This record gives sequence, structure tokens and C-alpha cells, in this order.
Amino acid sequence: LKILHLGSCVIVTNLQEIQSEFSEIRDSVQASDKNIDFRILRNTGSLQDTEPSDRCCLLRHLLRLYLDRVFKNYQTSDYHTLRKLSSLANSFLTMKKDLQLCHAYMTCHCGEEATEKYRQILSHFEQLEPQAAAVKVLGELDILLRWMDEAE
Amino acid sequence: EVAALPAPQNLSVHSTNMKHLLMWSPVVLAEETVYYSVEYQGEYESLYTSHIWIPSKWCSLTEGPECDVSDDITATVPYNLRVRAILGSQTSAWSILEEPFNRNSTILTLPGMKVSKDGFHLVIELEDLGPQFEFLVVYWRKELVTKEHDKVVRRGGIPVPLETMEPGAPYCVKAQALVKAIGRNSAFSQEECVEVQGEALPLM
Repeated sequence: LKILHLGSCVIVTNLQEIQSEFSEIRDSVQASDKNIDFRILRNTGSLQDTEPSDRCCLLRHLLRLYLDRVFKNYQTSDYHTLRKLSSLANSFLTMKKDLQLCHAYMTCHCGEEATEKYRQILSHFEQLEPQAAAVKVLGELDILLRWMDEAE
Repeated sequence: EVAALPAPQNLSVHSTNMKHLLMWSPVVLAEETVYYSVEYQGEYESLYTSHIWIPSKWCSLTEGPECDVSDDITATVPYNLRVRAILGSQTSAWSILEEPFNRNSTILTLPGMKVSKDGFHLVIELEDLGPQFEFLVVYWRKELVTKEHDKVVRRGGIPVPLETMEPGAPYCVKAQALVKAIGRNSAFSQEECVEVQGEALPLM
């Protein structure tokens, strides 16, 4: 299990398990991305280059993006992919609930930096058509997982 | 008119040591083999895409009235499960598990363990309960009960040396299973003691 230190919010997550689940579908997801010269999760918006006190808020926004607009919009008829997506989505939901606790205890403050970085990510996301954006950002899940892994 | 195929009844989940078995009462029809299909949805699906149900990895078409859903239940959230009967081209209505199942309710049994000596070494081998399990092992020299040592063993099924023993002094061991994914542990096993023959050195 990985302990994520996000400012004064600390959560425990099974990052290795999530990485393993995603690795089983990464190639097929990335192969279905037609916008190869475009990135939504850019290094400028990375978690680890964000002030610790703003990391919880940024991650909370990103998890909500995946839950509300990525897992829902990714279309597949392949049952193996569907099972992996379900596993990822339910693990993200668990993390989101943990971050919600931090928010309830006032340890998940949204400062200017988190708000601006998420605004940029969202603007990149909305430059693509919803389903294309879902494919793109799902393919970039390893970037988010690396951000979480390095957010020490 | 063909009678409707009855739906399976009495769904329940029996979960022990993170192995989750969905069971139901079989649909019995004379001289017919009835098959079953199992589907699941996690809390995410029920909240965000409630129309989506996912075929179970091992039981999209199965004969027995049970299904190992351990590979389907991969997050610590409530899961809905449903089953229907299949006979030829006929399918029954779906029966849904009354209460959603969460893997954090699994029963954790006392871990099986074998304590032995390899020369002067105190060795333990724990039951292999799968990749989600670690073990907390506590061991001590019998006369020095206050001086317990502990060690986390990452996997079962392999012998692990704990300590070098003094001859003529019994050493005791107990262990509990840990499942980090659900933040729970079993009770401690019974202690087991071994001793290397020979004369005990005086305790300093």
C-alpha cells in the first residue's frame, strides 16, 4: 500500500494494484487515441510540482474528472477492458471518498495554484470532443499514477 | 405456451480469507441441465452508470449453483451481484443479491503455520493465503516472555528463519494474518513451541 502525503491530508491507496490493473489495458487504450500530438495532463500541471498544501485539492479535482467524464464516456465492448475499467473506477471512488474526508476536516484547501492548474487541464480536456478526450485522458492514466507515486 | 424459466433464489455470499463465493439455490428441471450467468457492478457503476452490469470473469455461463467472484471484487466498495438461469434459448429474470457485498466483511481465519528448527534456527512456514496476505509473527524465548520479538512475513508458503536458538531453551511462536487492502487482521494463532536439545546456558 502507498501512503500519499498531500499536504496535511494523508491517504492510503493500493497504487501498485491500480498500476497493475491499468497496465493490462494501457496499450489498447492508447492505441485508440487518435490525437497523438496533444497532451491533456502536462508536466506543468503535475501533482509533485504543486505546493503540498494544494495537492489534495488538485488530486480531488482530477479524480472527479476521471469519475465523471472519463470512465463513463469510454466506450468498449471488450469485457476484459470493462472489468479493468470497473476496477480502476471503484479504486478511484475509494480514493475520492478518502479525500472527501480530508475536505470535511479542512485539510484539502483549494488554493490559487490548484485552481489554476486544474483550470488549464480542463481547458485542454475540453478542446477535444468528449469521447476523444475520455480516450486521451484514460491513456494518460499512467502519468497521473506517476504523479501520485512521486508526490512525496 | 412455454413456462417461464424460474429465477434462481436465496442468493448469498460466503467470503473467507478474501475468497468470495456467490451461492444460490439451483433451478431444478427434470432431465434438463440449467446453466447460470452472473454479473456484477461496483459502487462506481451503481452511482455513475447504473444501467451497466459486468459479466463475471469466471461465470458468464456456469453449471453449478455457485460462482467464485474473487477476481471480480477488486476494490473495497459495496458490489451488487445478480444471477439468472439459462436453458437453451430461454433465460430467467435476474435475481439480485439482497445486500451489496463489501470485501471488508470477509472472515479472516487463524493462519495455519508450521514451526520447526533447522539446526539452531527457529523457522516458521505460514499458510499461503494468496498475494493480499501478509503475516505478523511474534516469537519469544519461553522463560523470557516479556522479551517478545516480531517480524512481518510478506508471503506464506515459504520457510522463514526467525532466530538462532540457545540449546535446552524452548522458543514459542504465534502469528496473525494481515490484509492491508481492507485494513484488517485475523486473531493470533495458538502459540507453538520448539526446543533444541542440549544444556541450557544460564540466563545472564
